[in-house]
Amino acid sequence: MTEEKFYKEELKILKEDFNDLKTYLDEIRNILPVSVCTLSSFWVIVDINKATETLTGYRPLEIIGQPINFILQKKQELEKIKEKAEKEEKIVVEETLLTLKNKKEIPVSISMVGRKDREGNLIGYFLSITDTTETKKYQNRLEKGTKALEESRSALMNMLEDIEGARREAEEERNKTFAIIQNFVDGLLFFDKENNLSLINPQAEVFFDIKRSDIIGKPIFELSTFPTLGPLTILLGREVRGVFRKELPIKEHLTLEVSTVPMVSGEEKLGNLVILHDITREKMIERMKTEFVSLSAHQLRTPLSAIKWTLRMLLDGDLGEITKEQKEYIGKTYESNERMIDLINDLLNVTRIEEGRYLYEPTLTDFQAIVQFVINSFKEEIKKKRIKFEFKKTEEKLPEVKVDVEKMRLAVQNLLNNAISYTPSGGEVTISLKYDKDKIEVAVKDTGIGIPQDQQERVFSKFFRATNAIRKETKGTGLGLYIAKNIIEAHGGKIWFESKEDKGSTFYFTLPVEKRFEEFLKRL
Amino acid sequence: MAKKILLIEDEQIMFDLLQKKLRGEGYEVSIAKDGEEGLRAMREVKPDLILLDIVMPKIGGFEVMEEMQKEPELKKIPIIVISNSGQPVELDRAQKFGARDWLIKTEFDPQEVIDKVVKQIGK
Repeated sequence: MTEEKFYKEELKILKEDFNDLKTYLDEIRNILPVSVCTLSSFWVIVDINKATETLTGYRPLEIIGQPINFILQKKQELEKIKEKAEKEEKIVVEETLLTLKNKKEIPVSISMVGRKDREGNLIGYFLSITDTTETKKYQNRLEKGTKALEESRSALMNMLEDIEGARREAEEERNKTFAIIQNFVDGLLFFDKENNLSLINPQAEVFFDIKRSDIIGKPIFELSTFPTLGPLTILLGREVRGVFRKELPIKEHLTLEVSTVPMVSGEEKLGNLVILHDITREKMIERMKTEFVSLSAHQLRTPLSAIKWTLRMLLDGDLGEITKEQKEYIGKTYESNERMIDLINDLLNVTRIEEGRYLYEPTLTDFQAIVQFVINSFKEEIKKKRIKFEFKKTEEKLPEVKVDVEKMRLAVQNLLNNAISYTPSGGEVTISLKYDKDKIEVAVKDTGIGIPQDQQERVFSKFFRATNAIRKETKGTGLGLYIAKNIIEAHGGKIWFESKEDKGSTFYFTLPVEKRFEEFLKRL
Repeated sequence: MAKKILLIEDEQIMFDLLQKKLRGEGYEVSIAKDGEEGLRAMREVKPDLILLDIVMPKIGGFEVMEEMQKEPELKKIPIIVISNSGQPVELDRAQKFGARDWLIKTEFDPQEVIDKVVKQIGK
């Protein structure tokens, strides 16, 4: 073989190797999923692989020979890339936009490496482009997700804060309520639905001179073993009965007014609150007032008696003869004095009622006799006024009732006195008795002036006199019905009335019959 | 001989009036102005009847009656109480001490006092 032939042969082999290598490289380039462009040193696209065709939509002929800004149109970024490329070996741009053939822009990341020849001179660049649309989408989704998560987190935090706020508010409210209960001027006790004491405030501790720790949680019947609590437990009973403004003397210088309030939440019964209001001072003032009235009334009686007796003796001629005119005047003065005495007596009765020492030893009595006694005392008056009077007794004899005879007479007297006084001459007054199992009923009916509708509510109040009654009859203290009502009620009875102005009034009252006592007597 | 009545009463106008009325009816009347004087007088005078007030200075009517209970001589003398008030409690107490009757001044006339006196000891 000649030398020339040898070289030719070598060259041929080299050419073949080179072609193989080129094909190999082309194949590799074309199966790469990443888009790769080859750029000249003047930033002109000189070659692209298959992936670039697919990505950009350009055929190689359409893109080769174009400057780089043909596809990377963001001018500023491009300048930066070019600047960097002179200094650095490899440039990576995470985010830029690639302009496709269809003019759409898609997010991509690019990386670039310089190409050098054997002498190390820069002869161009390799540019690889990665489509980040999917990544971007994913990132967006992730961002959105993160944001939503952030939002729900803060919402959750807000909710937690709200709950905390509500809790704090509830606690504050609880503390406030507790402070109110602790510092309340009234004593407070709370019995739960099993009637165990579940709350007592300091004021109640003071009232009963007792320590909270000694009685809390105990059932009410056990509390009666504490002497100071005795009266209260008797009043409330084992099951904390309903009580409204009941006066309860606890010890000397302490009187409480007791009320119970059932506590209910929706349908559920929680228990009973017992309110203890200190009325010691009120009671003292009331007593002083009563004593004052009582004392002055007593003091007034002496001179009134002296006047009464003097006038009487003058009238009777015991102190010498007087003229007819003198007699008339003295007679009228005597009547005025009698009215003053009535008023004083009524006032004394009222003060006794208010002092609570009114009834005196009730005894079993024939009630009809009491009524008859009162009627007898009005006989003259009835005759004088030509009143048609009727007393309707029961067919059977009335059972005996347990009464304070004097007081009961006074009550009946007040009712009959009103009926006669406020009935014009020639009118009718009827007293009827009825008996019904466990009570007797008395009715005093008249055809008098009646009580105006708008004043009927006040009929039994102290010093009340109806306007038409004042017009008709200047006498009258306004205490009669108040006294009668108190007497009847002190005997366990009831009093009420029906009335129509200009037609008349009927006053009714009942008295309980003490059956058991009666039966007891029969057995003897 | 006229019946003797001792009037124990501190109020001048009242004993003046009563004395006049009683004398008019023919009784012999002596007067004591308080309980102490009254007790002394009844031992001296030995009256047929005592008209006794309750509220008086020094010794009151109830104490007078109590004292009288202790002495058999005085215990026998009938008493009519003349008082300003007439509470059931007082009536009971007076009855226990031997009072025969009770008059409330504002509720009775002098004539009614005479009637009660007559009822007890006659004219």
